[in-house]
Amino acid sequence: MNLSLPTPARPASPGRPGRRRSASAGRAGRRTGAAALALVLAAALAACGEEVAPIEPTIDPAGAPAAADSLEVHDPWVRATVGADDTTMTAAFMVLDNTGDAEVTVTGARAEVAGRTELHEMAAVDGQMVMRQIRGGLVLAPGRGQMLQPGGSHVMLMELTEELRPGDELDLVLELSDGSDVEVSAPVKEFTEEAGHYHGDDGHGDDGHGDDGHGDDEGHDHGSHDHGDDGEGDEHP
Amino acid sequence: MSPSVGRRRLLGYVGTAVAGAAAGASAGVVGAQALDDDGRARPGAPAPGADALPRVVPAHGPHQPGVAAHLSGVTELVALDLLPEVRRARDRDALARLLRVWTGDVESLTAGRGAPGDTAPWLAAVADLTVTVGLGPGVLGEEWGIPAPVGFAKVPPMRHDRLREEWSGGDLLLLVNGADATTVGHAVRRMVADARPFAALRWRQQGAWRGRDQQGRPVTGRNLFGQVDGSANPRPGTDLFDSTVWIRDGAWAGGTTLVLRRIRMDLPTWDELTRAEQEASVGRRLDDGAPLTGGHERSDLDLAARADGRWVVAKDAHARRTHPSSHGGRRIFRKGANYEVVTPAGSETGLLFQSFQRDLTDQFVPIQQAMDVSDALNEWTTAVGSAEFAVLPGFAEGQWLGHQLLG
Repeated sequence: MNLSLPTPARPASPGRPGRRRSASAGRAGRRTGAAALALVLAAALAACGEEVAPIEPTIDPAGAPAAADSLEVHDPWVRATVGADDTTMTAAFMVLDNTGDAEVTVTGARAEVAGRTELHEMAAVDGQMVMRQIRGGLVLAPGRGQMLQPGGSHVMLMELTEELRPGDELDLVLELSDGSDVEVSAPVKEFTEEAGHYHGDDGHGDDGHGDDGHGDDEGHDHGSHDHGDDGEGDEHP
Repeated sequence: MSPSVGRRRLLGYVGTAVAGAAAGASAGVVGAQALDDDGRARPGAPAPGADALPRVVPAHGPHQPGVAAHLSGVTELVALDLLPEVRRARDRDALARLLRVWTGDVESLTAGRGAPGDTAPWLAAVADLTVTVGLGPGVLGEEWGIPAPVGFAKVPPMRHDRLREEWSGGDLLLLVNGADATTVGHAVRRMVADARPFAALRWRQQGAWRGRDQQGRPVTGRNLFGQVDGSANPRPGTDLFDSTVWIRDGAWAGGTTLVLRRIRMDLPTWDELTRAEQEASVGRRLDDGAPLTGGHERSDLDLAARADGRWVVAKDAHARRTHPSSHGGRRIFRKGANYEVVTPAGSETGLLFQSFQRDLTDQFVPIQQAMDVSDALNEWTTAVGSAEFAVLPGFAEGQWLGHQLLG
């Protein structure tokens, strides 16, 4: 179930101490008022399957530094679903940077528009690259970063309740192992590579990314990206 | 600010300071060895001053920084047209979403990082990169609910114009300037790709400018006639510049207007002139750009000066025809990009002339009309393209381009 929390106040001034929690440099102002997706932050607890008190999306100010203090997020973006074969799921990408002295583990994510959210990675299984859920979370060693990018690890957003149009802003919360959160405001962008190759996933059945699915999509020059002859498989080369 | 930006910027300035200090400490030795008798750097001399090293131009501020920034080597102007469905629906929301996407692109690319979703982020680099975004006449006005800046209008036809559609007009402008063509081209490619759900490419025009001397010091630069071009510009950072360029009031405050003229230059016939004839056509010396009436490049012309019963600066000299005193003090801020396009059908050379002014009709048009009536340079120059754009005000971190008009 989802418990809606009031949207945390986002100071309009750029001077807010957003480093530890905000990732995309405070883009609250970029949300389109009424036209935007109703993306207020929520504590999406559905994954737990049990009743839990709403998570405070910040850190105990008196306690030890939270992992969220150390995690910086750069250049996040979410693939638009407009024109996609399957508009119920998409993925978020970003650069994660652990600037602290301790390990940081991203255990999950949540977004208002997604009924289900998972961390995925690409892995070689029997010589084929397949997408699968990351077990045990995404672990960032001190001082190390990780790129979440097409063809690699990413945040999978499923059971979408809204169409994601290029230029929309999607609010995403990264959940860390110590209970702290990192807010990410990610712009929605059209995926300019061959979406079908990236997006296949054994967990979601046939996503129909063959030629038929692209037939009406005049504006997308899929033909210009020749990824080889693996066009009918779900695996990324 | 994202830390990686900060780091890169810091490195840029630290590099400058260190190199500057080194040059200062050893100026008596290295400096003397580095320069030949004419003060030019010798081949194989130590690296030029760190002023020449590309930097990050911060994207945020009250104005888009590309307008006032000193010209770096390569300029590309890109016009896009909104997709028919966006245009038909007067889809303000779509336009706003495009500008949001572009905002993120500008922030990343100018900092030397790949844009979010970049298919070739390795091509991004710290390169003095600026991206200036403007709106064309087609998306301004009541239908769009976006007021045009005061005086914004299409430039009226000029007698000497030979305008071609493929170099004219456009709904949206990207004016991209940077140290090298690879970085500039990558930024253009990325931003055109990200515009695809909203707008399609109309034209791209690329040119180059040599805005620094061999020691890396900023200089005015030359057009393909060899003329020092832009000597009379108001200097960025001065009140004169601000009052010339920036719109002061309303939603466009902090913005400006841009006229792009693609000016074809007939180099073969120009080269037939004597140096004296070439200098007389403008009223300035070719070697240093100083007025024919004396002084240095920045000296004002003495329009009253006569010699042997004739005007020193001829009646139809370009510098006289365009002088602010001939136009009630009206002036513009100009930039240029030299182009040479070679195709199997032949070549075209010229100048991508960019005129920035607060009020297009009040400032640019009278000066252009005076040139159209009489200007010695008209014999070798022909406008073959023309476009007008309202340049959006700047944005702060957390804001987006155009929020003042579409937010």
